[in-house]
Order: sequence, then C-alpha cells, then structure tokens
Amino acid sequence: MIVAENVEKRFGDALVLKRVNLRVEPGEVVTILGASGSGKSTLIRCINGLEALSGGKITVDGHDVSTKAGLVAARRASATVFQLFNLYPHMTALGNITLAPIEVLKLPKAEAEARARALLDKVGLGAHAGAYPQQLSGGQRQRVGICRALAMQPRYLLLDEVTSALDPEMTGDVLRILAELADDGTTMVFVTHEIEFARHISSRIVFLEQGELIVDLPTAQFFAEDGGLAVPRIRQFLSKMKKD
Amino acid sequence: MRFWRVIEPHIGFLLQGFALTIVACLLAIVGAVLLGALTASMRSSGNRWVRGTANAYGDVFRNVPFLVQLFFFFYGLPELGIYIGAFETGVIAMSIAGGAFVSDVILSGILTVDTGVIDAAKVSGLSRIKIFTRIVLPIALRVSVRPMGSILINLVLTSSILSTITVNELTGAAKIVAATTFKPFEVYAVLLVLYASLTTLLSFAISAIHRRLNRFMMGG
Repeated sequence: MIVAENVEKRFGDALVLKRVNLRVEPGEVVTILGASGSGKSTLIRCINGLEALSGGKITVDGHDVSTKAGLVAARRASATVFQLFNLYPHMTALGNITLAPIEVLKLPKAEAEARARALLDKVGLGAHAGAYPQQLSGGQRQRVGICRALAMQPRYLLLDEVTSALDPEMTGDVLRILAELADDGTTMVFVTHEIEFARHISSRIVFLEQGELIVDLPTAQFFAEDGGLAVPRIRQFLSKMKKD
Repeated sequence: MRFWRVIEPHIGFLLQGFALTIVACLLAIVGAVLLGALTASMRSSGNRWVRGTANAYGDVFRNVPFLVQLFFFFYGLPELGIYIGAFETGVIAMSIAGGAFVSDVILSGILTVDTGVIDAAKVSGLSRIKIFTRIVLPIALRVSVRPMGSILINLVLTSSILSTITVNELTGAAKIVAATTFKPFEVYAVLLVLYASLTTLLSFAISAIHRRLNRFMMGG
C-alpha cells in the first residue's frame, strides 16, 4: 500500500504540496487530476523519492521513502513512467528494458532479455528490440518506457502524464496498453489530463488544487452531480477540459 | 641517398625511443581519461568538499606549466623521500596534467545529460556508481570525445618534454643522435614524420570512437 500522510513539499518560498493525505491500496487505479502547477507531478516525484519531502511521510508497503533503506525498498516495489519517456538514448529498446533487471534484480542476461522481448511483443514492438530511442516514434518510445517499468515487476506503477507529449493516435495506443494493465489488476497512480480515460479505468480520482488535495472519491461519485461535480472548482476544471 | 646514410646507423635507437614514446603515451592516456572521469564525477557531486577537492586539483594542474610539474615530481619528491623512476614519473605527471584537462571536457559532457534520464535511472533502483558508469558517462562521452581528442593529442606532443628528465623517448633519443651526427635536419625530419604519424593515428581512433558513441543518434 502507498500511504502519504500530511505530505508537504516546498520549493524555496513556494509550498507546492500542502498536507496531502493519500492511500493507494493494491489493485487500485488512482487518478490524480488538477490544473497545471497543482502539484500532481510533484506528488508522484515525492512517492518515488525524486523529491525530498519538506514535511509529512510517505511509505510504500511500509517502507519510508525518506530513509535510505526505505527508498531502496520502495523503488523495488514501484516503477515510474515519465511524460517525456526519459529513455537511455545510448541503449536500444532491449537495453533500456533489461538494464535494471540485470543490475538491480540480478536476473541472468538471457532471462532479462526473454522477459523484455515478451513485453515488447505485448506492446507491438517485438520487431524494434534493437532500435535506439532516436529511431522510434513518440508513441513507440513511451511503450518502451512502459515495458522498462513493467520489466521490474513492480507492485505499483506510477504514471506521470504519460500521454501529454503524444499525438492523439499515439495516445490511443498507449492508453490501450494502460487499460489492459488496469484490467490485469496492476496498481496504478496515474497523473493525466485524459478525463474520459481516467473515468474509464480509475477506481478512485483525487483532485489537487494549488497543492491541496481537495477531493478523493470513487470514480462514479467523482463524476456525480452530488459528488465531485458539486465542488465548483472541479466542475469548472472538467468543463474547461471538455472544451479543450 | 644522403638522408638514409645519416639515419640508417641510428634507426634502431630512434625506433626504441619511438616505442618508449608510444608506451608512455598509451599509459598516460589511460591514466588521464580515468583520472579525468573520476574528477568530473567528483566535480558534479552534491558534496561541496568532494567538489572543492576536485576543483582544486583541476585548477592547480591546469594552471602550472607542465615542465614545472614534471620537475616538481622528478626533482622535488625525492627530497620528501619519494623515489620514482624517470619513466614512471613522466607517465604519472602526464596522467595528472592530462586528467585535469580531460575532467573539464567530461564535465561539460555530463552537464548535457538530460536530468530526466538520470531520474529514470534513479527510480529504477540503480546505484550511483552504475548510474554514472552505465548512463551518465557514455552519454557525456558522446559530446566530450572530440574535444578530449585534442587534449590527448596535445598529451602525445607533450611527451617530448620527458626528455628533460632523462627519459630517452623519441625526442630524447633524437637529441642524442643529433649531437652524435651533427645532422639535426635529418634527425628531426624523422621526428616530424613519426610524431605526425602517431597523432594522425590517434586522431583516426578518436573519430572512430566518436562515430561508435554517436551511432544511437542516427534517426530511423
């Protein structure tokens, strides 16, 4: 379980996360919504330890990410897919996917490669195992990014606006893969602006407003007139997203 | 042929010197690159003491003439009870001096590495050393290898100064032959060719490494 308790994050004078509380149970798909600058990505970066907390506590399966040993264990349990893919440019798709399983999980190379090829096949990139990121389209790169994350067999998948840098067709490809993962029961924390997709795959939706978590509701309730939509800021946000 | 008549009796000695130059340069290149990479990693460290130590090393050895460094190691250290042979002193001095410059170009390469790529490596659980050796350094070398080539070529040319501390490398050997034959034109003409061959070879090697490191930049 991922538990964030009273999490605060400060950059200089700016408090970008204000006493945020969040629990993600195994098997859940939790979508974080909010306007740009509301702290969504920062929250993900706090969960995977890329940002040190200014206050509060985050645990992943009981491991406190603010301790060295806890962070190592938390990173074993979770994997992150990034908005801008962040693939290793000097490695092939296969190399990107097998590096951490070989170096961190100590898998034999042959086994890591077999696992990577199976993942690439699953996302329709079996023929591109030897391609460098520069030789792949944005959607293909993101699919490699997802494979890289899944190769670590994480209990939790953290997805930070993974379709924001993609065109609609590529977005569709990536979302289809994520929907399959959700159907398989993969636990996901998902930052996105794809409202309809979030509505389709999420078990819960939380809404961040200027660093404050103002709503945390089951998906159906979030979109109900007497639920999330009763909150003026959320109604305004959703109607603006629909127009865009 | 007059030229060959002058050189022929001494060609073996000159080639011995050339071989010594090659060995000294290869060892110094390895030393300079390793020291440069280590120093560059220290200069990009978050710890200010580590960063400060690496910066101090770079500042000192980039700003002191190589001849002075060489004399310091060769004539100065024995006064502290540290005795190293002339050849070893030369290789160590070249490695240290070269490493200071190499660290600069590797550091500038490190600064070009996308922080997002490093973030991805961190969250995948890779250790700091693995992140540096498997991710940061190969990407940094992609842009660093060309300017590093100029430094390494300069290091090869600098090896001629080792003759001042009794190492009979190519220049040292040539000085002896020139003094024996009183034919400096012929002797130093041979040196021109041999040094130019050596640096040209190194230049080709650098280009090949550059192409290899940048093969992933070819779009599909």
